[in-house]
Amino acid sequence: MPESTTETTGVDIELIDVVKRYPGQKRAAVESLSLHIPAGEIVMFVGPSGCGKTTSLKMINRLIEPTSGTIRIGGEEVGRQHDDDLRRRIGYVIQGGSLFPHMTVTQNIALVPGLLGWDRRRTAERVDELLELVGLDPARYRNRYPRELSGGQQQRVGVARGLAADPPVILMDEPFGAVDPITRQRLQDELLSIQEELRKTIVCVTHDFDEAVKLGDRILILTEGAKIAQYDVPEAILANPADRFVADFVGAGAALKQLTLSRVSEIELGRRTVGEIGAKAADVLRAAQAADDDCIVVLDAKRRPVNWLWTRDLLDLDRIPAPRDDTDLVTIDRRATLNDALDLMLVSSHGSAVVTGRRDEYLGVVDFQAVLTRIQETHDEHNPTPEVVA
Amino acid sequence: MWDYITERHAQLLYQSYQHLSLVIQCVLLATVLAVALAVFVHRNPRVVALAGGVSAIGLTIPSFALLGLLIPIAGIGTATSVIAVTFYATLPILRNAVVGLAGVDNSLIESARGMGMGAIRTLLRIELPLAWPVILAGVRVSAQMSMGIAAIAAYVLGPGLGSFIFTGLTQIGGANALNSALVGTLGVVLLALVLDALLLLAGRLTTSRGIRA
Amino acid sequence: MSVLDTKPPAGIADAKAAAASLASSQHRRPSLGLMIGQPLSVVVVLAAWAIWRSQAELDSIEQRQLDWGLLGRLTVEHLKLTVVATVIVLAVAVPLGIALTRPRLRRAAPIVVAVANAGQAAPVIGLIVLLAIWLGFGFWTAILALCLYAILPVLRNTIVGLQGVDRTLVEAGRGMGMSNRSVLGRIELPLAVPVIMAGIRTALVLVVGTATLATFIDAGGLGSLITTGIRLLRYPVLISGAILVAALALLIDWAGRVLEEITRPRGLG
Repeated sequence: MPESTTETTGVDIELIDVVKRYPGQKRAAVESLSLHIPAGEIVMFVGPSGCGKTTSLKMINRLIEPTSGTIRIGGEEVGRQHDDDLRRRIGYVIQGGSLFPHMTVTQNIALVPGLLGWDRRRTAERVDELLELVGLDPARYRNRYPRELSGGQQQRVGVARGLAADPPVILMDEPFGAVDPITRQRLQDELLSIQEELRKTIVCVTHDFDEAVKLGDRILILTEGAKIAQYDVPEAILANPADRFVADFVGAGAALKQLTLSRVSEIELGRRTVGEIGAKAADVLRAAQAADDDCIVVLDAKRRPVNWLWTRDLLDLDRIPAPRDDTDLVTIDRRATLNDALDLMLVSSHGSAVVTGRRDEYLGVVDFQAVLTRIQETHDEHNPTPEVVA
Repeated sequence: MWDYITERHAQLLYQSYQHLSLVIQCVLLATVLAVALAVFVHRNPRVVALAGGVSAIGLTIPSFALLGLLIPIAGIGTATSVIAVTFYATLPILRNAVVGLAGVDNSLIESARGMGMGAIRTLLRIELPLAWPVILAGVRVSAQMSMGIAAIAAYVLGPGLGSFIFTGLTQIGGANALNSALVGTLGVVLLALVLDALLLLAGRLTTSRGIRA
Repeated sequence: MSVLDTKPPAGIADAKAAAASLASSQHRRPSLGLMIGQPLSVVVVLAAWAIWRSQAELDSIEQRQLDWGLLGRLTVEHLKLTVVATVIVLAVAVPLGIALTRPRLRRAAPIVVAVANAGQAAPVIGLIVLLAIWLGFGFWTAILALCLYAILPVLRNTIVGLQGVDRTLVEAGRGMGMSNRSVLGRIELPLAVPVIMAGIRTALVLVVGTATLATFIDAGGLGSLITTGIRLLRYPVLISGAILVAALALLIDWAGRVLEEITRPRGLG
C-alpha cells in the first residue's frame, strides 16, 4: 500500500515444497507448493473449488498437517512448534465469523488472550479497543450474544476475535462469504482500513475474483493440485494474464474489473459544510449559506458522519440534534472501489455519498458525476487511442 | 387419608427423601457415564450405530426383568436398585448426548482448534456447553423414568416410596391398603414434578443465554 | 421422529413417552443390525437357554416352575395381555386422534392429550395396584392399567402425524373434488401412517414390558416366574423368567419394527 503510514507489524511467510497427500487418493491435494508471502501484505488465494487453496491455507496453522515440505512464519518453522501454541499466535477468521453462540461478544474475543494468560484488565481493554476498531460501540455490543447481532456484525466480531492477541499473521477462509453484497463491500472496506493501521500479514482464501482484486496486494491463482497459475499484483494479472486458464478465470469483464482497482480516494472529494452534534444551529447555518450548500453533514463527537440535514431545517433548530435511527445517510470508505461507489449511489436516494477515512472519520462527499468522470479517465488511460467510428 | 399421612409422616418423609436421593444419585452417575460414553462414541464414528442399537435394545428390556437378572449378582436391596435405575437412566442421556455432540457445527470446532484450543479444552468449553441443552433434555427424560423404576425396585427391597405401594398391595382388603398405595403413587408423582422443576431450573442456570430456546 | 429425542419434553408424561419412543423411534430406516441381528441374537439366547433347561439338574420346585407346559401357558398369557391391550389402545386412540384433528374438535386436542398425560404421569406399579384395589384382581384390571399407560404415545402420534400432513396436499385433494372422508382416507391417513406406526410400536414396547407387572394382581404372564424366583430364592427360575421376558420384549419390538416397514407407504422415505 503506497500511502502506508504505520509500521509493518506482520512477518513474512514462506512455503517450501509443501505437499499434502491424503491416504487413498491418487492425486495429491497440494503438489509441491513454494511461495513467499511478504510481511505486511494481503495475499489472496483464489482458484476453482477443489484446487487446494483452503488446504494450503490450513497447512499454515497446521489445522492440516503437510505430508512434506517446510513452512516458516517469520523465519520460524511451524512444524517444530507445539500446534496449539502456534495457533494462538496466528489469527484465524472463517466464514460467518463462526462465533461461539454460547459466549458473549466479549467472551468470544477474549478467548485467545485468555488462553495466553493475559490478565483481566488488559483483556477487557483490548476487547473494547478491538470493538472500536471494527466499528462496533463497545458499550452497546460488549455483552451481546452472537444471535443478537446481524450477519455483518457477527463477521466484524469474527475479525476482532482473529486480531485479539495481536498476531502478526492472520488467516482468513472465505471471511465475507456469508453476508449480502452491500455488507460484504462494507466489511472489505473496513478490513482495508484496519490493515492500513495494523499492517499485518494476511492470507485470505476467496472464490470471488473481484474480492481478490479489491483486497489483495498480491493474488495467487491456483489450479488443481494447488499448482501456481500466476502469483502477482492485481494490476499485472489483469493486464497480462499468464495463460488461458488465468484469462478465463479473470473473466470477460477484465476491462471493467479495472474499475475495481480504482478507489474512491483517487477522486477529488467535494466539500460540504459540517456540523457537530450539539453545535449551535445558527453558526452552522451561516457557514452553509456562505458555502452555498443546501444541506450539511452532521458529525458525532469522533467526527464520524451520522446524518444529512437540510439547511432549511436548521432554521427551526437551536442546536444540531443527534440523528434518529433511520437516517438516509450513505457513507462509503475511501478505500472502496468505484464499482462499490456506483452500487451504493444507485441504491441511495441522494445520488451522493459521504466518504469516510480512518476509523470512519469524515473526509468529504462524492457524487455521481465525480465517479463517472473518474471512470471516463480510467477508461482513457487503459485505451489511450480510442477508435472513432466514422 | 389425611390421618394416614400425619400418623406416618416421619416414615413418609424418610422414604420420599430416600426415593429422591436414589433417583438423583443414579441420574447424576448416569449423566457422567453417558456423557463419557457419548464422547467416546462421538470420537469413534463406527460405534455410533452400535450405541444407538444398544440404547434402543436396552430400553426395550423390561425393568422388572433386569431387576431379576441383577439379583443373583447384586443381591436383594439397594445395590440392585442403584444398578438398574442407573442403567436405564444412562440410555436416554447417552442417546441425546450423541445427538447433541453431533449437532455441534463443525466450523465452530475448527474455529476453536484454529485459535489454539486443544482437543480437551474444545470439548469442555465448546462442544459440551453447546450440546448441553440436548443432553439436559435427556437427563429430564431419565429422571422421570427413574422415578417409576425406583418404585418397582421397592419390590426387591430397594429404598423409596415404592414400599408404600407394595404395602398397599399386600394389605389389599385391609383398612389402609388404599391409603398406602395412594400415598406411594401420589408421592412419586409429586417427587417427579419437583425433580423436573429442579432440572428445569438447573437448565436455566447452566445454559448460556446465547443458546437458550 | 427425531424431534422427540432432542426437544425438551413438555411435561412429565411426555418425558416418559419420549423415553419409550427412544426405544422405538428411529429417524432413518432401521439398520440391518436391528432388523436381522436383533432377532437372531434373541433366538440364539433362547436356544442356549432351552438347551440349559433340558439338561440342568433342578430341584422339585424349580422343576414345577420351569415345566414346559407352564412356560408355554405363561408366554401365551403374556402375549394375550400385550395384544389385547394394544388392540384396545389402537381402537380407542387412533379414532380419537382422528376426531381430535377434525375442525370441530381441534380445540379439544390439548385437553385430551393432557388427560392422557395424566395416565402416564403416575408410576405404573402404583396405577396397577390402585386399579386392583378399586376393581379387584384379574386380567381385565391389568388390561385397563396397560391401556391407560399406553394410550398416550398412539394418541399423540396420531394427532402429530395428521397435523404434519402438508396442508397444500389436503387442499389439492379438496380441489379435485374429494369428500372430507376420502381426503382423510386417501391422503391424510396414508401420509400419517409412519408417524402413527411409530407410536404403535412405542405402545407395544411399553405394554409388553409393563405386562410383566400383571402378575402382582394375579393377571398372569411371565412376570410370575420372576416374582416366584425372588420369593422362593430360586435363581434358575428367576433368571429364566428374566431371560424369557426380555426375549419376548425384544421380539415384540422387532415385530413392531417389521410392521412399521411393511405399512410404510411406498414413495415415502
